[in-house]
Amino acid sequence: MKSSAGGFGTQWFLKMSTDKQDTLLKMSILTIAAILSFSTRLFSVLRFESVIHEFDPYFNYRSTRFLTEEGFYNFHNWFDDRAWYPLGRIIGGTIYPGLMLTSAILYHLAWFLNITIEIRNVCVFLAPLFSSLTVMVTYQLTKELKDAGAGLIAGAMIAIVPGYISRSVAGSYDNEGIAIFCMLLTYMLWIKAVKTGSVFWASLCALAYFYMVSSWGGYVFLINLIPLHVLALMLTGRFSHRIYVAYSTVYCLGTILSMQISFVGFQPVQSSEHMAALGVFGLCQIHTFVDYVRSKLTGEQFNLLFKSIVLLFGSVGTLAVAIATALGKISPWTGRFYSLLDPSYAKNNIPIIASVSEHQPTTWSSFYFDLQLLVFMFPAGLYFCFKKLTDSNIFIIMYGVTSIYFAGVMVRLMLVLAPVMCILSAIGVSGVLSTYMKNIEAPNKKDKKPKRADLTYPLKHEIATGVVFMMTAFLVTYTFHCTWVTSEAYSSPSIVLSARAGDGGRIIFDDFREAYYWLRHNTAEDAKVMSWWDYGYQITAMANRTILVDNNTWNNTHISRVGQAMSSTEDKAYEIMRELDVNYVLVIFGGLTGYSSDDINKFLWMVRIGGSTDRGAHIKEHDYYTPQGEFRVDKDGSPILLNCLMYKMCYYRFGQVYTEQNKPTGYDRVRNAEIGNKDFELDVLEEAYTTEHWLLISDQCLCISFATYRTGKHAKSFATNSSLHRLPGCRRHLQQNKVNDNQQEENHNEDHGPAARKKSCSVVYSTPDNTNSHGGVDRQVLMPKPFIIQLADSADHLHSEPIAPHVLAVAAWVKLMK
Amino acid sequence: MAIVKHLSLVLVALAFVSAAVNRQDSINGDIVVSAADRKVDISTHLVKINTAYTLENAGKSSVGYFLVPVDTGLADSLSFFGAALKASGDEKGPALTVSQTTVSGHSDKQFWRVNLPSAVESGKTVDVNVETVFSHALTPFPRQITQAEKQYVVFNGNLHVFSPYKVKTQKTTVTTASNTIESFTKTKPNTQTENTITYGPFENKEPFSEAELRVHSENNTPFLTITSMERVIEVSHWGNIAVEEHIEVRHTGAELKGPFSRYDYQRSADHGASVKSFKTVLPAAARDVYYRDEIGNISTSAMRELDDMVELELRPRFPLFGGWKTKYTIGYNVPSYQYLFNEGDQYALKMRFVDHVFDDLVIDQITFKVILPEGSSGMELKTPFQVQKGENGLHYTYLDTVGRPVIVAYKNNLVDQHIQDFELHYTFQKWRLLQEPLLVVGAFYLLFLVVIVYVRLDFSITKDEAKESKMRVASLLDEVQSAQDRRSALYQSYDDAVDKYKSSKDQATFVSTRKKIDADYKQLTTQLQGLQTQLKNEGSDLAEKVAELNRQDQQYKEQLGAQVTLAEKLVAGKLNKAQYVDSDKAIEDKRSEIYKKMEDISSSLN
Repeated sequence: MKSSAGGFGTQWFLKMSTDKQDTLLKMSILTIAAILSFSTRLFSVLRFESVIHEFDPYFNYRSTRFLTEEGFYNFHNWFDDRAWYPLGRIIGGTIYPGLMLTSAILYHLAWFLNITIEIRNVCVFLAPLFSSLTVMVTYQLTKELKDAGAGLIAGAMIAIVPGYISRSVAGSYDNEGIAIFCMLLTYMLWIKAVKTGSVFWASLCALAYFYMVSSWGGYVFLINLIPLHVLALMLTGRFSHRIYVAYSTVYCLGTILSMQISFVGFQPVQSSEHMAALGVFGLCQIHTFVDYVRSKLTGEQFNLLFKSIVLLFGSVGTLAVAIATALGKISPWTGRFYSLLDPSYAKNNIPIIASVSEHQPTTWSSFYFDLQLLVFMFPAGLYFCFKKLTDSNIFIIMYGVTSIYFAGVMVRLMLVLAPVMCILSAIGVSGVLSTYMKNIEAPNKKDKKPKRADLTYPLKHEIATGVVFMMTAFLVTYTFHCTWVTSEAYSSPSIVLSARAGDGGRIIFDDFREAYYWLRHNTAEDAKVMSWWDYGYQITAMANRTILVDNNTWNNTHISRVGQAMSSTEDKAYEIMRELDVNYVLVIFGGLTGYSSDDINKFLWMVRIGGSTDRGAHIKEHDYYTPQGEFRVDKDGSPILLNCLMYKMCYYRFGQVYTEQNKPTGYDRVRNAEIGNKDFELDVLEEAYTTEHWLLISDQCLCISFATYRTGKHAKSFATNSSLHRLPGCRRHLQQNKVNDNQQEENHNEDHGPAARKKSCSVVYSTPDNTNSHGGVDRQVLMPKPFIIQLADSADHLHSEPIAPHVLAVAAWVKLMK
Repeated sequence: MAIVKHLSLVLVALAFVSAAVNRQDSINGDIVVSAADRKVDISTHLVKINTAYTLENAGKSSVGYFLVPVDTGLADSLSFFGAALKASGDEKGPALTVSQTTVSGHSDKQFWRVNLPSAVESGKTVDVNVETVFSHALTPFPRQITQAEKQYVVFNGNLHVFSPYKVKTQKTTVTTASNTIESFTKTKPNTQTENTITYGPFENKEPFSEAELRVHSENNTPFLTITSMERVIEVSHWGNIAVEEHIEVRHTGAELKGPFSRYDYQRSADHGASVKSFKTVLPAAARDVYYRDEIGNISTSAMRELDDMVELELRPRFPLFGGWKTKYTIGYNVPSYQYLFNEGDQYALKMRFVDHVFDDLVIDQITFKVILPEGSSGMELKTPFQVQKGENGLHYTYLDTVGRPVIVAYKNNLVDQHIQDFELHYTFQKWRLLQEPLLVVGAFYLLFLVVIVYVRLDFSITKDEAKESKMRVASLLDEVQSAQDRRSALYQSYDDAVDKYKSSKDQATFVSTRKKIDADYKQLTTQLQGLQTQLKNEGSDLAEKVAELNRQDQQYKEQLGAQVTLAEKLVAGKLNKAQYVDSDKAIEDKRSEIYKKMEDISSSLN
């Protein structure tokens, strides 16, 4: 007689029919997973505040605010004169608006229901919200691929997988936050369409694809993967009418819909990245036609016809593609795409791509760090898929294999890999568990059966129990690992840093916002701020001031000009600054606090990018090294380095400061060196504002007539091989970049103890996620080429004319001429 | 009706205001100031002038009021004007009512009329203290200083007490912020000791006599000015009042010239006139305090809870030098019982119109808003000083339907003396407190109702036979289970009846009971057989199990019959006790075995 409450509960549960029990279990597991995925992303909100993180999210936040305030049409036609001075930037046509539209709709919906939520909070919590939805979609997708059990495991896994969390914590308001949801939704509907061959599901898939296109440049991966799947099905002889209907519908509808996004425009029919989809579409038609013809002809006739036609079309097609490429109708392969295929391409050719840490190849450790258990269970899942090959399993195999390649090429594509890792691992785990769970005998029958089973399968029950326990232990460690990684590595807003003080209290470094807020309130409304492009988005969003370059690195020439200014002597820099109409210069310097991602550590990139154009040809990287090829800021450093503008701004009056005990004045705690050039005055610049912890220094020009120059700055170092080789302090920790984020922050404060200091100085502040986030498509594609050239040229000769109307006129003119 | 009522209220208010502004007074030549002692305090960024008048009625008729003009150069910066009767010692006497007025022939001057509590008879005197506060009356000179320089300010005033009456004797004391006095008007007689300068006594000055008074001295007190402020009070009848203040503050002292060096700033302890932080005092009950701005939390603040107040040390994101400004928001909650009073449906809110932000407060412009609960009506705002009423609006927030009324008022130029209570009277029906909870309950009720209806109705266009059948089977199985449960209950009744029979040996009752149970049993068995057939029709293999169940039941029933026979034999004396117990035991064992089988089958049905 069971009479306890628990007994009653179980009875109540058992009394339901199996169907109901099943539904209840599934619903509760999914709900818990969804809630978990939301709440595990809230570390940073609880630890700091509800604030937008990093760099790109600030741009997204700013445009969302614009959208909600000004409405869609103004947003669509938005010409931003606060960025890329004097060029400006056409924002409406150069972004993927999906993210902003999603939050604007949510915001208006909430306000319609009198829920007075701030737009900032909508933005902050959007990514966690969509990750909850991702859990649901992953469940559905895996259910389509295998069964509900695997679906539940996949849902639970993706809820906490660090590779995905890194881009979707609360505050990380970036395209990827919703794009992963869109991507999985598209896949799920695609699988449905393939399974049923119904136009309905295929159309839904096209709609989901449209949403995906509107939100992330990574849609290119989708539009190549789906054709690849179709191609694989053709090659394996699985092509059928179902596939034909599904693909034709998805491709036609999806392409037309995707062309509605003005940023994408005609690329789906012109650029090489989309040609695979078009080719497979044609192949589909041919395949179907061939099948039809084959059914009407004899084998011999058919073979002859087939061979001659293939030859003819093959040569004509190749010729057509060659001509189109030569005429520029098919846009050339863009740099970012090459760097996908050849990891060293970008580093060798495009410094601006190479300078972004998230475009670096992934290290082995970061695979384990971001995926843990999934790394091992992934092959198991592949095995289960191969064992029972179906149309849909082929898809997930293709997805898994391609994305693991891409993730190896670029750190940021880890994001695309994480979902498929979860799905395949879930299939693996579910396969293992369901195999062995059957072998566990119910306890009450234990006495009778084992003896019988022993003959062919000794210790069947024990082995099964062992495997199940092991799997459970794996899953438990996975949970702990994910939570730890989320909490330690991915939950720092990076604009607010915190450190533990000696007494156990928490010290907050809020210098970034201090500087931006100062700029916002104490500079002229139309002041132009020059800074390295990393800080562009943050300055426009938080300081509301005009900047020269930002994280949307669409114009190399302009960035290069800024790089030249930073790496020239004061006089030369002054000319460039006058030319660009600069009022303030912003630099980030971490030498006092030990913040390693400062502008001095990024300086080599400024030199490289500055020297990469004709006008900067006089700036040569090797001039900034010592004869031994080292990058040093102390006495032995290159005299050119010790006298360039960046050096002078960062170390202005630093030579008088004692930073550590037992060290001379002017001891740089990041680079562990006493600076080489101590007593100097700035001739054309004047210090305008410096934040509390010296992270930011602004300089103001004492110059003759109108301009006062100021600089303010933050820093982030790029954990790249090339820069690190020459920064002795940084090399050591390159491989452990992410884990160190936190240590490094902690170390900000520990002013005492050389060991701690060493650590803080040598840690590379890696940017695992966000330095640059506009998807896999090179930005330059978005504008007609002549336009860009025109702008770039005019920029160099412009002095102080207001540029916005002028640029628009030029653009219109160029378009007319075409 | 309500509109008409409001309109009339507005008209009355208008009439009152216009009367107050347009009233003209005349200078009563009978009044003589027999002594005036003026204290000019320029030790902060405010100019505080306190004048102690001894008024004498030299005329025949009694005097009910007297006039005070504001110094011509300072009239525009007057923030506060107050008067009180002089009391003994340091205590303040009872405050007098004052109002602004005009005097014909002196349209260039600003006059205030001070009403005396009782008319002063001919030949009598009265002592009155007049307190005036001027903001922005000190001019920094030089206007721009570097980071290391001290701030100097100039005060320009009137050397004599400015009065429409003849002043027999007067004295003026000027208090400066520091001992460093660059220059001051040297009109004799004067004495200077440390940071005070004393002028006078001057004898028999004519009405409206003026002379230059200029003091140039060092003054490093924070010249903080709130250029604009919005104070929003949101009242909830659930026990909470939320206060939020949006504050734009500017350092209005000498502007910073040249660079700001953090190195110098951190090296020296003396920060001159720049402001690193200031203290705000909140009510003692304040909780959930927040301090933020447009770009997020400002992490540099410290809160201390004292017995009678909450002291907040606010540090702006950056130190404020001359000419620099910043903007922030501060908010907190206070329990409503301290501020909200009611009598029936009549409510009165009594709170401060403006609260402390920092010492020697200067607010150039304030927008004051009170958000009342939804459904409040008949709002009437009473303020201790004149304010400009704004147009009332509506505010929508969580669960609102018609919107919450917002009372808006504006006022320029406020100082510490304006920290006074306002009263807001309004009507609110108590039942409306339940409106929002009921709304939520209703919404959920509707939601559940819709779900209930949805899952019970079939909206599909085509029929899914397999699913239908499955559902029918499920419902049949439910019935089987419940029938089986009842049948099990009947077995228990059998046992009871047998036990009773054994003890009472009442054959007749036993037979009738048995018959009754048998009838019930038969009915249930028939029902179960019917269900079995139905299941078979659905093609469910569970029909087999039900059949098995019925078979087992049959056996069980037989065992029961055997037990009954045994009992009858025992009662009839055909068996002895031991025999009976043995046989009964055997049957009992069989029964329990069958019963277990039946249980297994029954539970396997699901």
